[in-house]
Amino acid sequence: MSELSPYLADLPRLAPELLLTALALIVLVWDLVLRGRDSRKLGYLTLFGLVGTGWLLVQQWHAPTSTAFGMVVIDRFGTFFKLFTVGALAVVTLFVLSDRREKKHGVGEYFFLLIGAAIGIFFMVSTNNLVLLMLGLELLSLASYALAGFHKGSKRSAEAALKYIVFGGLSAGVMLYGISLLYGLTGTIDLAAMGRNAADGSSISLAAQFTASPVPVAIAVVLVLAGFAYKISVVPFHFWTPDVYEGAPTPVTTFLAVASKAAGFAALLRFIGALFMAEGVEVAVSAYAQRIGLLLALLAAITMTLGNLSALRQTNLKRLLAYSSIAHAGYALMGVAVMTSAGFSASIFYLAAYYLMNLGAFGFLLFFEGVTGSEDVDSLKGLGWRYPLVSCAMVVMLVSLTGLPPTVGFYGKYLLFYESVDAGYAWLAVVAALNSVVSLFYYFRVAKALFLTTVEDKPRVLQPVLTGIIAVLAVFTIVTGLFNRPLQEWANAGPASLHIPAAQK
Amino acid sequence: MTEHLLSWITFLPLIGMGLIFFVPSTNTALVKTIALIATGIPFLLATWLYFGLFSKTTGELQFVERVDWISGIQAQYYIGIDGLSLPLVWLSTLLLFIGVPASFGIEKSQKAYYALLMLLEVGINGVFVSQDYFLFYVFWEVMLLPMYFLIGIWGGPRREYAAIKFFLYTLAGSVLMLVAVVALRIDMGGIEGMQAPFSIPEMMAKAKAGLLTGAHLPFGGTLLGMQFTTWVFWFLFIGFAIKVPIVPFHTWLPDAHVEAPTPISVILAGILLKLGGYGMIRACFPIVPSAFHEFAYVLGVIGVVSIVYGAFVALGQTDFKRMVAYSSVSHMGYVLLGLAAMTTWGTTGAALQMFNHGTSAAVLFLVVGVIYDRAHHRDLNGFGGLSQIMPKYWALTTLGFFAALGLPGLAGFVAEAMTLLGAYESALPGMKTLVLISVIGIVITAAFLLYAMQRVFLGKLNPKYAGYKDMTPRELLCQAPFLFLCVALGIFPFFLTDVMRASIDQWMATMGG
Repeated sequence: MSELSPYLADLPRLAPELLLTALALIVLVWDLVLRGRDSRKLGYLTLFGLVGTGWLLVQQWHAPTSTAFGMVVIDRFGTFFKLFTVGALAVVTLFVLSDRREKKHGVGEYFFLLIGAAIGIFFMVSTNNLVLLMLGLELLSLASYALAGFHKGSKRSAEAALKYIVFGGLSAGVMLYGISLLYGLTGTIDLAAMGRNAADGSSISLAAQFTASPVPVAIAVVLVLAGFAYKISVVPFHFWTPDVYEGAPTPVTTFLAVASKAAGFAALLRFIGALFMAEGVEVAVSAYAQRIGLLLALLAAITMTLGNLSALRQTNLKRLLAYSSIAHAGYALMGVAVMTSAGFSASIFYLAAYYLMNLGAFGFLLFFEGVTGSEDVDSLKGLGWRYPLVSCAMVVMLVSLTGLPPTVGFYGKYLLFYESVDAGYAWLAVVAALNSVVSLFYYFRVAKALFLTTVEDKPRVLQPVLTGIIAVLAVFTIVTGLFNRPLQEWANAGPASLHIPAAQK
Repeated sequence: MTEHLLSWITFLPLIGMGLIFFVPSTNTALVKTIALIATGIPFLLATWLYFGLFSKTTGELQFVERVDWISGIQAQYYIGIDGLSLPLVWLSTLLLFIGVPASFGIEKSQKAYYALLMLLEVGINGVFVSQDYFLFYVFWEVMLLPMYFLIGIWGGPRREYAAIKFFLYTLAGSVLMLVAVVALRIDMGGIEGMQAPFSIPEMMAKAKAGLLTGAHLPFGGTLLGMQFTTWVFWFLFIGFAIKVPIVPFHTWLPDAHVEAPTPISVILAGILLKLGGYGMIRACFPIVPSAFHEFAYVLGVIGVVSIVYGAFVALGQTDFKRMVAYSSVSHMGYVLLGLAAMTTWGTTGAALQMFNHGTSAAVLFLVVGVIYDRAHHRDLNGFGGLSQIMPKYWALTTLGFFAALGLPGLAGFVAEAMTLLGAYESALPGMKTLVLISVIGIVITAAFLLYAMQRVFLGKLNPKYAGYKDMTPRELLCQAPFLFLCVALGIFPFFLTDVMRASIDQWMATMGG
């Protein structure tokens, strides 16, 4: 009993994860009892459970940083992303409940898989332990593969799932190989211990390896980065994104584009922060931060440019949003590339903005799939006049995605520009700025289709829940663009809890 | 009331926009009434400000409001006006106010139309009163969206193309501006004890003291062999030049003008183009004066190219509206020439030219609108002899044309003469040559306006048009204030110059000229 007690003492710290796990199991069993009938109840239960999880997370936000089981770090950085995951998941659940095309499928497993993916994210964003990180990532991935192929009858959905598995499996293997190299080089799988020299001498510090021969370490780091790059769909690991996004059911696409991508970013930030930038990291390691930064800056520039240029030619709104999400990964990567604590804050802020505007944009997509049954931009023609509220909200999202004031997307971009110029990457800011102009062209193709043409009147299809969500998100997008102090403070809390020292100026 | 006067002027239209949303779309009369009130009150307030409250003896900012806004980046809600912005604020409230009755002919989705018009006014007024660069930029971009929809929804046959072209061009300019603003902010932030690194007056003060040289940026004062100030100057200048527009960034303008509905063309030419010139005066030249002095001659050349090229292209147009649009390019060239001269006369002339072009361009576009509403085409060669059936129209058009071509006694003359005189006495070598070349522009301007007049009004009446009614009272009323200003300011230009003088003197001192 006494041997168990320290573990039991740590358990309450994992309350949100435990609650989610319990929720997932209840949903699964209840679905079996219901035999696929009336699965809406499961949706409501999921929402209820998510509210509880959110409440627990808010408690954790105010609690001091702690570690459970020596692996799971409960800090504000992780909690921030968990809260956003819960929020996104709640919205996605509402999407599932109001998806007009979803009725013929049993959706019980849907919720189970979504919650499972969220549990994966929870562990992924809050660990310094590379193996646990990998486990979280795989849990997220496995749930996502199943979700992407959820429309069993649909050829495109099946294709999406297969592509996702093949790419995912490959990159997971690459990443695991990188991790094994890191482990081999340092003798530890704990990121914090890798960056610093372990006091008890149980591990060889990365610094020593760098000094001896930087090449193997560089290979290991780049391999791990490749795994993250796949998750956040950075060029050249982005090929799966458009096909998977297009083939997967829209609520799943929303989840992948928003929660899954942000989780990848969170893990990336933690990885880089702990290895290269945290307090106490040896000089020999942090000297390489600039080189990694340059690599990431180049990737960011290529990713946003390629994403935007490819989006220009899309006629399918879902594919267009997929390429746009690639471009946004490029923008968010700017903040990582500058390798400063303020840059990380900017990145985190941009991800929060990205949550808001993409949830809105995908909600809009779902709304119009429900109306027209099509995903083509052309089929939106004139719909703005028939559904003014949703369409105006979508215009707000488009403005924010383009990065125009007075929206949160603009403020996020401003912060990224600021940090890149401040860190000497002025060229990256110029590239990103010009990219915004390019992106305007395809984003406003949607606005053009909505408002610049008129079509005959047809009976309106009312989707009040979706309308409400999209309108609320639009209001948030504008309000947080003009008054964003709380959000900025939350974003600033991230790097602080990763022990990244603020730059001395 | 008076301490928040500028905020009221800026945000009253926003309240109007909010109200319009709650009006059922069938009740167009109420929508129009709200729009009239929401633009009318700012106009009255601005008039009160202009003729009553504003002190002409000081070049300092007046009616300042300053509170912290986004504390994380130290952006402030900092607004105020001086003699350079007040006339433009007044002009913009007037134009937007007239813009409402001028739009009564529009039938399509009126609720959305007036709501967007209100939003546009918020953006325009906001830019003219902002003294904080972040706020300035926010307002600057807020204008783009309503303009895109106003052209794109209510425009002519090629409206989609024109709208997105307008949007892309101006956005391309303003993202460069944003990068420059970011760089300025970083440099300002590094200065010891800086509380308001976005403040435009503060930037001017630091620039004058020689502190704004990019020393606090990671690359120091130079990047790729060019001075920090030079980079900032060109990034900002191109951003504003696209708006003016200046050759070679002008190609969006004819398209936007031709496709936009008449009232939107009036607002576009009357006030949106002024934002570019105003931006240079307020937020570009005095912030990097050293770079400005270095490139003043280049600016003069660009100005003269705009004057002459715009006039020549206008001469070749057969579309009435396109011709007027190119005349704007030509006229706005004087602004740049006057500013480049760096003399009190040149600067005053440039400021006058902005205001006077605002009124004369408004007249010209309204003139085009009148005939387009009747004939539904704008082909200059398709008319003829209209003076016989539309005498009032002819008289007003003649007055407007003469004001635009700079006939002495009318407003355009004063501004152009001052600009050219100012440029002629400039200390810059080679400026005299530029002035001589720009005189070609005046001749060509007279030529294309008179040639257009001949084709439209004189000659034999085309029987197709015999049934046309002369101008309606509504059309007359929309034109009247601008024509009045064209005449009044031609005779009494000191109505404007008195207000501007102190501020221009101070501006010249800031520029070290």
